[in-house]
Amino acid sequence: MKFDEAAVFKWVVIVGAAGAVIVAVTLLTRPLVGALLLLVVVIAGCVYGYRWSERKWRELGARRRSREPRE
Amino acid sequence: MESASVAVGHAHADHHHGPPEANQSSRIDRQTLGILLFIVSEVMLFGAFFASYFFLRVVVDPASWPPEPFELPKAVAGMNTAILISSSFTVHYALESIRRGNRTGLKLGLVATWLLGATFLFIQINEYVHLGFSARDLSFGSIFYSLTGLHGAHVFVGLCLLSFATIRAFRGHFGPGAEDHLGVEVPGIYWHFVDIMWIIVYVTVYIL
Repeated sequence: MKFDEAAVFKWVVIVGAAGAVIVAVTLLTRPLVGALLLLVVVIAGCVYGYRWSERKWRELGARRRSREPRE
Repeated sequence: MESASVAVGHAHADHHHGPPEANQSSRIDRQTLGILLFIVSEVMLFGAFFASYFFLRVVVDPASWPPEPFELPKAVAGMNTAILISSSFTVHYALESIRRGNRTGLKLGLVATWLLGATFLFIQINEYVHLGFSARDLSFGSIFYSLTGLHGAHVFVGLCLLSFATIRAFRGHFGPGAEDHLGVEVPGIYWHFVDIMWIIVYVTVYIL
């Protein structure tokens, strides 16, 4: 992942949109529903983060193997 | 060849002062890596405060939250959230401008971001004055002021960074190349982190 301002701004938009949805749901229903939705969003974020890190490690391993001299 | 390299080494030694240059990754520059590591440490700090908040709210399980007769100004804080999110857009505009070589856009974006950030802080302080409870009023007051105050301190630091970037922008220090505007990129990344943190604080403390 390229870590620059544009990449972080993308996450501002994503977190802002998720926050807006949670606020809307909470105001239209009850705080408990909003809290559960927040929990769902957090778990989804953790799953995404885990899968992203797995992919990155796999790419790193593949890059290292392609650089190692063949015997 | 060896003598030539020795001669070059001696010439280099004449101009070199202090310890040798630190190793630098080819994939990320050190300034960006530095702010990334700093943000990670600050996320852990906020995490500790959020853990305290959820412990007080969920585990202690008071009769009501906020405790009566305290009430939080959700609408004012919501407007403040909109102001801070707008400031993320203006700092992104500033960076997109300098990437395209538009120095006027950079200056406008940075000034707008600073003004929006200062407005946010002013409204937050005004809210503290009119809330009707202090940090000593129950655990609710304590954790509320701790969490929002911690964030306010981060906004203040962000305003200082933006001040440096704005002054340098007006002095013409930045250019379109990636290495030529790191002095804006790094404060921009920090500012986005401050914005994301506020969204989480607002949703958790004011709304839920």
